[in-house]
Amino acid sequence: MNLNESKDFLVHTSSLKEVRVFSREVFEKINLDVDLKEELVLAIAEAAQNIVKHGYKGVKETNDRMEIKISLKDNNLEIGFFDKGKPVIPENIQHRKLDDIKPGGLGTFFIKQIMDDAVFKKDEQQWVNHLILTKKI
Amino acid sequence: MSYKITEEGNVSTVFLNGEIDMDITETAKETILPIIDSGKEVHLNLKDVSYMDSSGISVLIESHQRALEKGTKVVIKEVSKSVLKVIMMAKLEQILNLE
Repeated sequence: MNLNESKDFLVHTSSLKEVRVFSREVFEKINLDVDLKEELVLAIAEAAQNIVKHGYKGVKETNDRMEIKISLKDNNLEIGFFDKGKPVIPENIQHRKLDDIKPGGLGTFFIKQIMDDAVFKKDEQQWVNHLILTKKI
Repeated sequence: MSYKITEEGNVSTVFLNGEIDMDITETAKETILPIIDSGKEVHLNLKDVSYMDSSGISVLIESHQRALEKGTKVVIKEVSKSVLKVIMMAKLEQILNLE
């Protein structure tokens, strides 16, 4: 089964629930294991949270929107995130060491645990950041 | 997220409900941390928490560490399957007090 669905969201913490609802609705159309679906929803929500938390750090309120695009082709799942926040420097993205127990720093770790790959591309003129998560399902 | 709190002796049990994400972590902390600061043992009942992300995990870690500082403890009770999976993904099942 192939699919291609996208939706945009206000960059705000209150949008994270909408992101999960959208993701679950899309994954309902794919015959996936329930646990895998929830893992994918978590990965998507963490990436969206990173946009809100880090891409717009210090910004109290914005009308900017972020777009999430979920595509499936030949069992290759690709999830794109587009935002106009601060430019991400991929080399600076690090999750905390797991034995350094402290709040924070786990979102990126979860994404890496769940997905096969996560890369930033500079191919979208209308956006600042374009993150692509991929997984063979 | 919604919650209710019951008291029994020196133990306060906080029953959390729903989905815990970055949008409600401040509410969760404002609910849990003052109880810990009062020196009480806190039981967090998570049986009705259907989803928790890294922000929710941060609340559990902060609560656990605050309790250690205050000489008390936080016990996580009846954790739902979906939340347990995230706790285990973070390799915290040996760190947090799970019952």
